[in-house]
Amino acid sequence: MQKGTILVWDPLVRLFHWLLAGCFVFNYLAGARWLELHVLAGSIVAGLLLFRFIWGVLGTPHARFSDFLYSPYQIASHLAGLVKRRVERWVGHNPAGGAMIFALLTGLLLLTASGVALYGAQQDAGPLAVLYAMLDERQLGLLEQVHSWLADAVAALVGLHLFGVAVESAFQKENLVASMIHGRKPLYGKET
Amino acid sequence: MKKNRIWMGSALFAICLGTAVSGIAMGEDEGEWGDRKWSRQGYLREQGVAPVSDKRYASECGACHFAYPPGLLPARSWRRIMSDLDEHFGEDASLSRRTKKVLTRYLVHNAGDVRRDEVSRKLLRRLSAREAPLRITHLPYFRRKHGEIPSRMIAGNPRVRSLSNCQACHTQAARGVFEEETVRIPGYGRWHD
Amino acid sequence: MSRLIFAVMMLITTPSAWGSEAVVQPLLQQYRSEGASNFSAAHGRQIWTTTHVDRRSGKEISCASCHTSDLTRQGRHIRTGKLIEAMAPSRNPERLSDPDKIEKWFRRNCRSVLGRVCTSQEKGDLLMFIQSQ
Repeated sequence: MQKGTILVWDPLVRLFHWLLAGCFVFNYLAGARWLELHVLAGSIVAGLLLFRFIWGVLGTPHARFSDFLYSPYQIASHLAGLVKRRVERWVGHNPAGGAMIFALLTGLLLLTASGVALYGAQQDAGPLAVLYAMLDERQLGLLEQVHSWLADAVAALVGLHLFGVAVESAFQKENLVASMIHGRKPLYGKET
Repeated sequence: MKKNRIWMGSALFAICLGTAVSGIAMGEDEGEWGDRKWSRQGYLREQGVAPVSDKRYASECGACHFAYPPGLLPARSWRRIMSDLDEHFGEDASLSRRTKKVLTRYLVHNAGDVRRDEVSRKLLRRLSAREAPLRITHLPYFRRKHGEIPSRMIAGNPRVRSLSNCQACHTQAARGVFEEETVRIPGYGRWHD
Repeated sequence: MSRLIFAVMMLITTPSAWGSEAVVQPLLQQYRSEGASNFSAAHGRQIWTTTHVDRRSGKEISCASCHTSDLTRQGRHIRTGKLIEAMAPSRNPERLSDPDKIEKWFRRNCRSVLGRVCTSQEKGDLLMFIQSQ
């Protein structure tokens, strides 16, 4: 029985989410073609990640990492529940969603770091420009591959993320995407 | 959600983004991270190397081979080449002393480690300060870029003959542009990786 | 006298020869003063096409290896592959218009092809040959 709504996602975590999504998608599609924009979007991602890690400690309740850090058992249990079509309602991120967030943040962190390194090694620019003279051609090629591979890995995670959001939305009978826009979720009689 | 926290969070958000963007995407051109002479905007947009601008160099040094833009080698390499023109890769390329002096000055002032155009920086990557290579075709970056081309397209191709014959395939070489899109190998067309 | 009339006629009727004639004649005079005489284009052609063994590659080379034996055609540098404009003044009016350039290329290419300096006789014959193309 719905009893009104509750504001779950603060404006900052929402802004973070969509800005991050936009920048990643743009960079993934544009690649190195418009390098200046690619670097700009990548540096925005770096800033967003920096914010998120701090906000994950000091932010609003459901933005904090402690809110959605679950054990592997709990994650498996939640997924098993999905398969059995057991309806669960979570105010913040459910265990699977939480795991996805950590996976994405880690992937993006590695991706951005490799990007900054590549920017220095290949273009002799940015904070890691020292790498330009330090890496030889072979190492540079490897770095390019690593950055490219990480981008694909994160893209795969994003695909899984979209799938997960769709599935959970259907099972919880809630529009999780809309929630990430206006920040609100329906309140029910019993919350987990 | 406490309002205060949100306001503080917003400030944090702005600071984080500002720091990251200014630190990565908008680094200073000189001083901190390098001593490039070009602005980063023009630098990233620059697609090649400064073309040959000295008419005498073009005519004296472009008769038997492509007049290589000075940006393709470091100054010390040019000095080395110009100091032994009697034995110039097996040919006699000797010049009058005055001509040699004028040409050497042009080359050294526009060398790859001086002008640092995009192609120059890539070509001269990781050369030690002592190395003064004589051949552009032996530079590691050059080898990496041309290593996969079958010999039938170069040595076995009567219209190319040698990797040192840049403009045979690089159609915009005279303008200092060597982008892969501009490459047309005689008898084979575009290069596909 | 007849030679003078002939030269004047050549000057008038062959625009390309105009420039080269003004350059070639003084050079031929200089070679004559060095002991050469009776320059012949036919002999020049012979020098042009005679092959020598290149001391570096062991291959047979001649002037024609780079410039081809048809001076109205483009040549190609035997090592670098670079295209060389036609040597014939009739095709390329800039040819034989600069005495310094002529001497420079004699100095270099005779060394490369013949392995030695060209004699004044050979240079005169070659000039006659090139000019006639």
